[in-house]
Amino acid sequence: MQKFDQLIQEAQARIAASGSLVALDEVRVHYLGKKGVLTEQLKALGALPASERPAAGQQTNQAKHAVTAMLDARRRELEAQTLSAQLTAATVDVTLPGRGQEPGGLHPVTQILERVQALFASLGFGVEEGPEIEDEFHNFDALNFKPGHPARAEMDTFYLKDWPLLLRTHTSPVQVRALLKHGAPLRIIAPGRTFRHDYDVTHTPMFHQVEGLLVDKEVSMAHLRGVLTDFLQRFFERDDLRLRFRPSYFPFVEPGAEVDINCIFCDGAGCRVCKHSGWLEVLGCGLVHPNVLDACRVDPRRYSGWAFGVGIERLGMLRYGISDIRMNFENDLRFLRQFR
Amino acid sequence: MRISEQWLREFVDPPASTRDLAERLTSAGIEVTAISEGLPALDHVLVGEVRNVEPHPQADRLRVCTVFVGKGKSLQIVCGAANVNTGMRVAVILPGGHLPDGSEIHTTQLRGVKSQGMLCSARELGLGDDDAGLLALPAEAKVGHLLIRELGGADKVLEIEITPNRGDCLSALGVARELAALYGQKLRLPDCSPVKPGIKDRLTARIEALAACPVFAGRIIRGLRADAVTPMWLRERLRRAGLRSLHPVVDVTQYVMLELGQPLHAYDLKRLSGGIQVRMARSGESLKLLDGNKHTLEPDILVIADHKHVLGVAGIMGGSDSSVQPGTADIYLEAAFFSPDAISGRQRKLGLQTEAAYRFERGVDPTGQTRALERATRLLQEIAGGQAGPITKVAATPRVRARLRLRQAKLVQSLGMLIPGKAVSGILAGLGFMPSRHGHNWQVSAPAHRFDIEREEDLVEEVGRIFGYDKIPAIPYPAGQRMLPLPEERLPVSRLRDTLVARGYQEVITYSFVDAQLQVRLTGSPGIALANPISAEMNAMRQSLWPGLIQTLRYNLNRQQQRVRIFECGMRFIQQHTEIKQENVIAGLIFGLQDPLQWGLPQRNNDFADLRGDVEALLGAGGHTKRVDAVADTHPALHPSQAAKLMLGGMNIGWLGALHPAVARELDLNGPVFMFELSLEPLRQKRITEAAPITAFPALSRDLALVVEETIPAGRILDLTREAGHPLVSEVRIFDIYRGKGIDSGRKSVALSLILQDSSRTLTDEAADATMRKVVQRLQDELGATIRD
Ligand SMILES: [Zn+2]
Repeated sequence: MQKFDQLIQEAQARIAASGSLVALDEVRVHYLGKKGVLTEQLKALGALPASERPAAGQQTNQAKHAVTAMLDARRRELEAQTLSAQLTAATVDVTLPGRGQEPGGLHPVTQILERVQALFASLGFGVEEGPEIEDEFHNFDALNFKPGHPARAEMDTFYLKDWPLLLRTHTSPVQVRALLKHGAPLRIIAPGRTFRHDYDVTHTPMFHQVEGLLVDKEVSMAHLRGVLTDFLQRFFERDDLRLRFRPSYFPFVEPGAEVDINCIFCDGAGCRVCKHSGWLEVLGCGLVHPNVLDACRVDPRRYSGWAFGVGIERLGMLRYGISDIRMNFENDLRFLRQFR
Repeated sequence: MRISEQWLREFVDPPASTRDLAERLTSAGIEVTAISEGLPALDHVLVGEVRNVEPHPQADRLRVCTVFVGKGKSLQIVCGAANVNTGMRVAVILPGGHLPDGSEIHTTQLRGVKSQGMLCSARELGLGDDDAGLLALPAEAKVGHLLIRELGGADKVLEIEITPNRGDCLSALGVARELAALYGQKLRLPDCSPVKPGIKDRLTARIEALAACPVFAGRIIRGLRADAVTPMWLRERLRRAGLRSLHPVVDVTQYVMLELGQPLHAYDLKRLSGGIQVRMARSGESLKLLDGNKHTLEPDILVIADHKHVLGVAGIMGGSDSSVQPGTADIYLEAAFFSPDAISGRQRKLGLQTEAAYRFERGVDPTGQTRALERATRLLQEIAGGQAGPITKVAATPRVRARLRLRQAKLVQSLGMLIPGKAVSGILAGLGFMPSRHGHNWQVSAPAHRFDIEREEDLVEEVGRIFGYDKIPAIPYPAGQRMLPLPEERLPVSRLRDTLVARGYQEVITYSFVDAQLQVRLTGSPGIALANPISAEMNAMRQSLWPGLIQTLRYNLNRQQQRVRIFECGMRFIQQHTEIKQENVIAGLIFGLQDPLQWGLPQRNNDFADLRGDVEALLGAGGHTKRVDAVADTHPALHPSQAAKLMLGGMNIGWLGALHPAVARELDLNGPVFMFELSLEPLRQKRITEAAPITAFPALSRDLALVVEETIPAGRILDLTREAGHPLVSEVRIFDIYRGKGIDSGRKSVALSLILQDSSRTLTDEAADATMRKVVQRLQDELGATIRD
């Protein structure tokens, strides 16, 4: 008995002292290996008299179990320590910036165009596109601009040198092309580049427009107001936005109107942006002139329609505060990166 | 157009504030863009009478004046003006008072003589640009009164923007007519009743171009006083409208134009020989106009001539030879109706811009000529006396305008609101349309000045705008009955944009017109020229997006940016025989470090392969990567050894490469620039996937290192490997290229990794090896490749 107690005590001390799995294994071999102390003891049992054998066997086995259990416990302990050390050693600085490319960004004009397209798509307006170099017919004649009329001169048109063609002054010619192609009823928007011979703080010779057109039976100014109210409230994400319709003149609509919204910078109280009027001009619109429907082979007695045209850079000015329209096309990366 | 509120209120005087007038006008489509003060700050300026003028004892050019300022008070004021005279009414500022510019007037000593205030010129008071002498006030001006009272009191000036269809509103009368309709008030017209002729003289007029000049009227006026001056009140009206006072006769013609909208012209009678002719100019005819320049005329320009000379360009500007001069006593006064078609565009052609042409282009009242002549004659006689001859008038048969019908149903349908019939009648009557109502319809006749009214839609607008557009309700329009088509075989452009954005590109938008010279360098030809470019840097339509991208690169390099990755989507314009191809393309440019400066990657400048990777990503969006071949070729913009065209089934869909170093040097770009440009449409085409089952059998992989001549393109190796390895080889990748030790110079080692797969059974090593032998054989036979172990 004493012999075993001493052995277990001694084993316990050696196990506790082993600082690594290798050292622990040496202890295991010492006690339980092929020639281990306890293995030898078990082998020696056969040499004992039969009467002593059961008791001695039981004691030896008890000692073996005790040592095994201590070895296992210590092994788990050492394994946990090793793992913990490995984990600690693998520490990364999570605050270090990641590796690789940084994403770029879309131009603000594109972002607005995509937004406008998405809003109108939800009302069933598809996108139509047309050429940027246009002819007089689509840009003026079919849109009821009489030759020589001041309205035509006011468009400040760019003409090509050796061709009887011009740069479209609005995206309205797309109306004409779409109506000629698809006929009525029709609902489309036409986004794109437009050109006018004008260059100062508030004008660039190129800018973007979205033209909207709806032709159907019994279309009224009230519907136009309904859709534009919806559009502008959704675009600016302000359901309290109010619209003001003012009579105006565009040859291709009659009646024609200019649309103002209550100033989103001062809520209508008056500020520098709205020139203290409380209103901001955003777009022009009206009922499609019967002459235009005629030119597009749509019967004005059966169909009516409305159209509007909105300047994208104008929306950008109001939405993002881009106060100088020229910034849009200088492409200063420090400016463009703000829209990421 | 600028117009004085006082003037408007002479015609119609609604009980409303200036702001209210402006808002009502604006809401009716006559946009008031600004309201300003009609008068400068004249709070301290009095009317004085010069009672005595003495020479200054110390200065030849100064006078010592005694000025009576009312209430028994006289002041001694030293004055340098040459026109100061005893008895003259003048504008005086007392010590302690201020000039409109804010400067204070003090009692001072001028060369030893006390001066108790200041006598003012028109310019000093902000009442004109005349600073030759003191402002001479009319003899009726009440001494001691504030000058402001003598000028009619405070006034506002409305700045009004008139749309091109509303030429009828380009006058005080025109705007007043709108106000009368808006406020439901009666219009008071100035006295335009016929002046009794005092003489019988007349000038015959003959119109050769009746379509261009349907009405021509005029009269002779003789015996105007040479010393006549334009009265203060009239000068003020002109000034507030932004016009200068020039000569009493000219001032009156200008005044009547501003008042009634009818331009007038006065000729010096003694300069005319024979009668008047209205005709088209003859080729090569020329004349000196009032702008002081000699203009050569073309046959599309309408002129007024006498029997010997061209006198002026009709409706635009008179000639200087026949114009009234200081002291002109006898004049011929013209009032005509020139049709807009005969005038529009001509002033631009002549490089002129006149108030008369502005009105004729937009249209004047074809019936207003006599009225304007009578009004002008009355004013002239008031100011300068004289005797008028009878008015002679030549006119084409007036166009008969059809009566128009307006249906209540059309009103409701167009405006989406019901306007009560009584209100409709009232509005139509107020606008002078003389409506007659028949149940739910109206018959109307538009007045002569409303030549823009042609059809029912125009009447809808008239009724709507006076009733108030803002009363139109907002009614939602139902969404479309069908969903929008969404063609899956055409990628949205946003997918391509997003692909580049994810790879570090910033989108830019550059002008569609570029510098033709730069374009020649980059594309080999100048491109389609603009007839009227903004500047030489924007004189040709772009044939490529590269000029814009390169300029954007330069712009940003000049602003301390060192790493630039940009792209643009847009149209290019290429002449193809007799047509212009307008094609959407997507183009990109990279410059500088491939990756942003960072700790985890080596710093290196980008190269051709980086660009090609981006291009492949674009091709990949529509699944085109494997079907597009890059073929080495030359392009004027590109480095001759680093340029490739992209071929998709025999069609060139784009280019990529390094900017030609010579061009880069010319543009001060120090470092390689890599660029691509691809046609958008082929990129957007996408095949709809037909899914195949995924094979359950394992694949094998094999590596192969071969050594080939440097000139053998990698694309060739890949193609041959795929071909020879068919059908087992499902994927080939190049994973290393090596030159140097162990490899003969002029040769390179290319390491391939192949995946072999049999979709119908487990692939055996033997079968894989057999395929590899076939591959090796082909590469040896066709490319002279040797295999490295
Ligand atoms: Zn505001």
